Amino acid sequence: MAATAVHAGGGLADHIHPEPQGFVRKYVFSIDHKIIGIQYMITAFLFMILGGMLAELIRVQLMKASGGLMTPETYNEVYSIHGSTMVWLVIIPLLTGGFGNLIFPVQIGARDVAFPWLNMLSFWIFPVAGLMLYASFLMGAPTAGWTEYPPMSLQGQAGTSMWAAAIFLIGVSSTMTGINFLVTILKMRAPGMTYTRMPLFVWGQFVTAPLLMIATTALGAALAALFVQREFGVAFFDPARGGSPLLWQHMFWFYSHPAVYIMILPAFGMISEILPTFSRKPIFGYKMIAFSSCAIAILGFMVWAHHMFTSGLAPALQLPFMVLTMLIAIPTGVKIFSWVATLWGGVIHMTTSMMFAIGFLATFTLGGITGVFLAAVPFDLHAHGTYFIVAHLHYVLVGGSLMGILAGLFYWYPKMTGRLMNETLGKWAFWLFFIGFNGTFLPMHWLGMWGQPRRVAMYDPQFQGWNQVASWFSFVMTAALILVLINALWSMRNGKRSGHNPWNARTLEWQIPSPMPYYNFKHVPSVFAAPYDFAEPLPYRGLEEELTGAPPPVPAAH
Amino acid sequence: MESYEPLPENRDPVVHLDRQFWIVTAVLAVLALLSILFWIWAPITIFMPEAVDKAQEIDALFRFLAATGTALWIFICGYVLYFSLAFRRHAGTPENAVGIQIHDNNKLEFWWTVVPTVFVVLMAIFSIRIWYGIEVAPGNTLVVEAIGHQWYYTFRYPNVNGEVKEMHLPLGQPVTVHVTSADVIHSFWIPAMRLKQDMVPGLINTMEFTPTRPGKYEIICTEFCGMFHGDMHSGTKENPAYVYIDRPAQYAAWYARTERQQANASNAVAAPASNQLKLAGGDAAAGAKMFATKCSACHALGPFDQRIVGPGLKGVLYDPAHPQLVDGDKATPDNVAKILQNGFKGSMGQMPNQAGNALSNKDIVDLVAYLKTLR
Repeated sequence: MAATAVHAGGGLADHIHPEPQGFVRKYVFSIDHKIIGIQYMITAFLFMILGGMLAELIRVQLMKASGGLMTPETYNEVYSIHGSTMVWLVIIPLLTGGFGNLIFPVQIGARDVAFPWLNMLSFWIFPVAGLMLYASFLMGAPTAGWTEYPPMSLQGQAGTSMWAAAIFLIGVSSTMTGINFLVTILKMRAPGMTYTRMPLFVWGQFVTAPLLMIATTALGAALAALFVQREFGVAFFDPARGGSPLLWQHMFWFYSHPAVYIMILPAFGMISEILPTFSRKPIFGYKMIAFSSCAIAILGFMVWAHHMFTSGLAPALQLPFMVLTMLIAIPTGVKIFSWVATLWGGVIHMTTSMMFAIGFLATFTLGGITGVFLAAVPFDLHAHGTYFIVAHLHYVLVGGSLMGILAGLFYWYPKMTGRLMNETLGKWAFWLFFIGFNGTFLPMHWLGMWGQPRRVAMYDPQFQGWNQVASWFSFVMTAALILVLINALWSMRNGKRSGHNPWNARTLEWQIPSPMPYYNFKHVPSVFAAPYDFAEPLPYRGLEEELTGAPPPVPAAH
Repeated sequence: MESYEPLPENRDPVVHLDRQFWIVTAVLAVLALLSILFWIWAPITIFMPEAVDKAQEIDALFRFLAATGTALWIFICGYVLYFSLAFRRHAGTPENAVGIQIHDNNKLEFWWTVVPTVFVVLMAIFSIRIWYGIEVAPGNTLVVEAIGHQWYYTFRYPNVNGEVKEMHLPLGQPVTVHVTSADVIHSFWIPAMRLKQDMVPGLINTMEFTPTRPGKYEIICTEFCGMFHGDMHSGTKENPAYVYIDRPAQYAAWYARTERQQANASNAVAAPASNQLKLAGGDAAAGAKMFATKCSACHALGPFDQRIVGPGLKGVLYDPAHPQLVDGDKATPDNVAKILQNGFKGSMGQMPNQAGNALSNKDIVDLVAYLKTLR
């Protein structure tokens, strides 16, 4: 069957432009998905340093029950910008714009995304919006948390409007990325790359793209309304003039719950690549993993009001939102069981990347389980708005998304630089991170249960001990992240040369040189199977010249 | 490159789980069982007393969730740890060694979808039952209103004028708390009750329960409400926020005392500070006209106790016999303006608010200027 399907070359798929030569066109205003991916990562990691510093300010403030480091006003600004940074300037850009851009087009055998110029625009909006967000400090930053509930956010300082504008812009960027990725995956797969042969990281991006496209529009509308009310006095959220404060909550969570899945589905994809590679085993239950991602994305649109169980939601609505939220545990459970089963009977190479992926299984699972607790309305009535929520969301976003990002960083770093990150430093970083993370956030579960509300600059002195524990461990976690940063910078010049495929991985990005060349593929390959059969020959044709010194094909003349 | 041969459809090897696997499984099962026992007997109430009937039910649900969740987590982490160690590549393993090439197992996948589904259904049923108990009002209840302010709480009781700063509830008496807010969104959480409702301006949320344990319990705000959000709990001296569950006799005494103390209080909701009218420059003549058309049907131009519907207003701002207005506030022009804005409801009858009387802000300023001229 194979021979006829082989791509002959010279068709539309081989249409290529010459590589730009000037520094600005090559590295600054690049339209190459790989450069854009790296730009996203560098920018997002810079914002992560800022967001991390804010996080440490929070932990230092909370070492004393009476606060002490900052005034409540400053503290409120700090945690609001910390949350906004980590969600919109770090996790989402890293997983979609960063790793998404860098990897998935190569994994489907494409030369670039469908709309490279749009991709460049998506990226360049992001640092501008990020700077706007930080500029809000100069005007008096927002203080009502990353959720900015009105009427509180209506009383906020002038920077709150700036915040709304900045997040709106980020939303525009996200929406464009979503469209771009969706079209790329739908239209630009290499011959033979059917949906059931796509690597699971591509599945992660494929399911995330529509979420970015659809959900972000609701956030945009909410932010526009907030901005208009703050600046021009139109009473969207003012009950005295016929508005409703709950309107914001509905619109905000209609975005922000799917956004939770935007922040985790690509990480699921990463884990689904890393575990089989380092276990030398096919991913267990490929179809169920792909299918469960779709189920999570669809259910993810139907559960937003579980953030509002105490807000005055009609009882008739609480019930379906509770049950639908609990249902998400089923596809998520299927994924976790499949990952665990992937480990069974493998030949496990315990690299740093693999350690982060295995750490992810432990911590994300805990965050997922407490998520089911919170889905139960009666328990949520107690835990909502407390440190239990803070613990839960950090277990999902740090123990889930960030662990996935770190696993992905160690895994795909050679594809960016041609060098490996240092494994010894990496393993130190893993253990410090794992211990620091759990030590920081595990005590927050009982702190919340016992009565510490979130978003407070001072608290009941009886909780001081556990807060100090959390703070000390947070320093360990920060040290681990600094170690990762040092490792990444040091390895850029001094890391071991990786060769094209240091991990013996089977997806397409590992079959071309590291760093990946401008065209990705000299000839677009043909695909014959999913990439997880480690005992079989590679299921690709047309890659013969990729690693040879053969010159790239002559670009089409214009 | 060798040509690609399509793989056979059913190519997975037959798998036999070894003895080691079953031993590990048994150990994990024991650990999971111990964790379940732990959550059944965990002394939650040492840390957090259960002050109302609903708290016991919610704790029962929490024990169930925590037991199930911990057991599941022990199994997942146990297997992850065991597989990671048992299948770790050894120094002698050849570089190109591969694991057992197994792709899926329909039976296994079927069961690990069905078993969690059963647990989710159980969880849902358990949660819904308790949720139903929380949502349905017990009937014959004492209705108390709780109002959030930046940054304190006030409470209203039936037949008690005005707002009080302490919440007292009688033991064993079903209670309905209506929560709302005078400014931004607050949240009304009593950890000992395991219950919480947001206080949303323009909206009344409801909590229903029966107090079961006397004592003094903290109220904590869990919705960010501005600069001193962290102060809205009992940990600070400025704004003590407690609910007291009293034995019926104690409660009756408190209630009688409060009713007496508040006899002269106004039920008018205090106007937000931003709405405070500037009273300078009022036109007393225009106010006199306004008084004749809008006020004189209910208020005489006689002494305070000469009532038509409301009290007489001659010299109201100067009357030594009535140095106070109805709510215990000083009889000042500002406080008079507040009543004109917000209306009044209480021991002395009712007066419509500004909108009800169709008064503009300027009308109020003029009326106050006119009242000042009545000595």
